[in-house]
Amino acid sequence: MRRNIFETIFFSEILKGLSITLGYMFTKPVTYKYPYEATPIQDRFRGVQYIKTNEDGSTKCVGCYLCQKVCPSECIHIETDCGPKGERLIRKYELDLSRCIYCGYCEEVCPVDAIHMGCEWNTVDNTRDNYVINMKTLSQNYKDNVAGNWKNKHLKKKLVEGVQQ
Amino acid sequence: MLTVKINGKEVEVPQGTTILDAAKEAGVHIPVLCHDSRLNPFGACRVCLVEQVGMPKLQAACTTPVTDKMELITESEKLSRVRKTAIELLLINHPLDCPVCDKGGECTLQDLTYEVGVTKVRFDAVPNDTPVDHTNPFIERDIDRCVLCGRCVRICDEVVNIQAISFLNRGTDTQIGTSFDQPWNCEYCGQCISVCPVGSLNNRVYLFKNRPWNLESEKTVCGLCSCGCTVSIDYEGNEVFRMNEMPEEGVNHGYMCAKGRFGFDFMNSVKRETEAQITVGGEAKKASVTEAVEYASEKLKAMNTDSVAIVVSPRITNEEAFLAKKLADAIGTKNIFSTETDAIMPGATYEDVENSDAVAVLNINVTESNPILGLAVRVAARKEGSSLITFYPSETALKRVTTKFVTGNPVELAADMEKFCAAFAGAENEFTADAKRLLDAENPVVVFDAYNMADAYIAQEIQKACSKVKLVPAKAKNNSAGVVDMGFGVNAPEDFAKGVETGKFKAVISFGENIAVRTGWSKLTGALSKLELLMVTDPFMSDTAKLANVYVPVATFAEKSGSFTNLEGRVQLVSKAVDKGVVSDAEIISGLAKGLGTELPTDAYAVRKLIEKEVKLYADVQWDGGTVAYPSVFKTELAKVATTAAGSGKFYLYPASLRLHSGSYTRWSPDLAKVYGAPVLDVSVEDAKEMGLNKDDKVKLKGDGFTGEFVVEINKQVTKGCISLPEDFVETADIFSNGRYLKAEIIK
Ligand code: SF4
Ligand code: SF4
Ligand code: SF4
Ligand code: SF4
Ligand code: SF4
Ligand code: FES
Repeated sequence: MRRNIFETIFFSEILKGLSITLGYMFTKPVTYKYPYEATPIQDRFRGVQYIKTNEDGSTKCVGCYLCQKVCPSECIHIETDCGPKGERLIRKYELDLSRCIYCGYCEEVCPVDAIHMGCEWNTVDNTRDNYVINMKTLSQNYKDNVAGNWKNKHLKKKLVEGVQQ
Repeated sequence: MLTVKINGKEVEVPQGTTILDAAKEAGVHIPVLCHDSRLNPFGACRVCLVEQVGMPKLQAACTTPVTDKMELITESEKLSRVRKTAIELLLINHPLDCPVCDKGGECTLQDLTYEVGVTKVRFDAVPNDTPVDHTNPFIERDIDRCVLCGRCVRICDEVVNIQAISFLNRGTDTQIGTSFDQPWNCEYCGQCISVCPVGSLNNRVYLFKNRPWNLESEKTVCGLCSCGCTVSIDYEGNEVFRMNEMPEEGVNHGYMCAKGRFGFDFMNSVKRETEAQITVGGEAKKASVTEAVEYASEKLKAMNTDSVAIVVSPRITNEEAFLAKKLADAIGTKNIFSTETDAIMPGATYEDVENSDAVAVLNINVTESNPILGLAVRVAARKEGSSLITFYPSETALKRVTTKFVTGNPVELAADMEKFCAAFAGAENEFTADAKRLLDAENPVVVFDAYNMADAYIAQEIQKACSKVKLVPAKAKNNSAGVVDMGFGVNAPEDFAKGVETGKFKAVISFGENIAVRTGWSKLTGALSKLELLMVTDPFMSDTAKLANVYVPVATFAEKSGSFTNLEGRVQLVSKAVDKGVVSDAEIISGLAKGLGTELPTDAYAVRKLIEKEVKLYADVQWDGGTVAYPSVFKTELAKVATTAAGSGKFYLYPASLRLHSGSYTRWSPDLAKVYGAPVLDVSVEDAKEMGLNKDDKVKLKGDGFTGEFVVEINKQVTKGCISLPEDFVETADIFSNGRYLKAEIIK
């Protein structure tokens, strides 16, 4: 291989390489200093579910069992009954986050737009039981998602917008 | 035979076959919505349209009979367009309720929507929106979802023959309902629910409890009466969610009654006991089943063998009854009892009844006591050229189809039946023509109450005069015939009463029988509680179980395997669907036997093999639906019994059958109890008026040796001068222990 004498004397290749490194030194970093800094959540992120509520605070879920049926990891457990006025009443709605694979099928299948994948991803806890969340928590999750009340306080308010749409 | 070509495939079918049936023969699927093979062709939905080669118009497959050399096409571009439009038109007014509709997942309309591929309705949707009707205690009615297929109306007319509902209004205003929107005056049989292809009629006992895709099913036989209906127990885990029909299957053709369809919930009852109990010196303490059984067998060992009596309930399986007999042998006692006797055994099948051209129903309200037999009688009676004569103190649901309905107080009625019987022998009276109809008929059938000896005598005499008459003794319980076959019919129930009263029996073991509410035995409660050993098995803490020193909770028919013999003498298999964590009677029996040094098998199959060896009648019986060949209906010649009403009083009191209860099991169903909880005194309209009684009044009933307080129901069908009360309630068992017919006085 023929070598350029000029390049050999002045190490210009090394300088070329260093200039790239130098260039990056003055651009914004692409990594996040977790846990000191929040990782951004994209619009289509699939985090811990929430279930929407109606204006009067009642749940939007009608207890159709479709999410239970579709869930590939069988983590949703529903019990329904006939209410005093002959309405469909949800006795129990449980979702086991320790089994959930966050596939989003439940969100996809829900015919009444009740269950959604939220932005929260922090589920760390010290007992298994706490991973089983019920309708109350799921409804609270809705409020939290709307208000941007994240467990991870670093989460930025602006990410909430995706939820409200 | 006609040759038809369907989609290029040739089949031969008999004259009169519809295109739909011919297609079934050819293995070709044609979608249907309003068709039900048990009902007459109707042709309301036009989903089943097919093309006939050479015909410009499309044909409805369910109503059009085939002609020879007919060529049909069931799949084509044009047809799928037409079918799609038919469904789209239905969906204009159909609410988008599937997520909350109880039919979701097993709805014909949903299935068809998928099948024909409707994804979008081209028309503007105008969903119906009327409030859901909850007035019927068992049926939820949402007319918005109705597709006007008419199946409910047709089954209620053609099969049930109650005609409770009909089409109202016309055109786009058409609705299913009753005239002037009156509450449904109905049998609560739920047949309409079972045929509704959509979620317009729903079972309120199952309502919103689960989804069909979560349920597993077990085919079994209902254990609530002697009809022997094939049903499916739908369960998830160990909870029974419904007892459902199996369309067209079994002797019941997939029909059921209110008890089965709405009363099954007693199996899940929280009132069921889970722990055995031993009572010593008036103090009850919980014990394990083994302890209880050991305690009992220790006591038995110390006992004189002749002072032990075993009672079985006709609710237990053949296998268990057989084992109980073996236990009696092991103990060495001959004192084995049940409410049944071997005096009268099954004589004909449902098929015989359905094919009959002349039926006589003697003094039994068969549509209430044995609903499926009632349906068979109706089939026979509605046939062209057939006749039905019914005797009963009050009018019954058979009135609509009966050629002649004879009512009167029990004594008059007995006299009438005697005259009817005499007419067979040639006597000239008002029944001569009726008797002649049976004599002239090809397949005459007589249905009677297997527990009423006076009626049985008449049935026997009729058969003597007309040998081709087939007899149907209507037995009461799911295994009434079976326990007798296994040996529990040799002793008269009265002997048990005597044995207990005289103190001959020191130990009584009752497998499932609720002695305290049985007519004839109810007065034994005092003596029973003084026994040295009273062992009772029952799923519930029954009135008898409360008196027991040893009580063991046991399985219901959904929790064990075995077989029942129904009123036709048909043996049918029962299979275990759920496990409620309690043992079966079989296990208790073998536990007791073990304590006495005898090994008995508990596995149903092993026991059946033993039965085949040891019980002659069952030597080569087909366990899955074969009939037992009884040599004759009557064991011996019956003697004439005079029908009298004991005591004095203005009214004749007789025991009534209930469609909602058949003994003490169904009383634990919260849903049935809500509609019929305590016994109600039925009074005729005339008498009520005369005495100034109103519905729901509380009155005293007084007769010779009994009193009672009951709520009044004014019943249009009851004959003046008669009143009726149901049997098998704590409140009424003592009354009817005085006699079947009584005189009584109503005191306001
Ligand atoms: S996200 Fe997937 S795994 Fe998790 S609950 Fe929904 S369906 Fe089940
Ligand atoms: S799919 Fe939606 S409406 Fe149905 S049970 Fe699940 S959350 Fe509730
Ligand atoms: S009847 Fe069928 S189609 Fe109609 S709402 Fe119910 S499940 Fe859906
Ligand atoms: S429950 Fe039976 S009697 Fe009542 S409307 Fe339905 S089919 Fe007719
Ligand atoms: S209620 Fe059901 S069975 Fe009756 S007409 Fe309507 S859809 Fe048909
Ligand atoms: S199924 Fe033939 S018209 Fe409805």
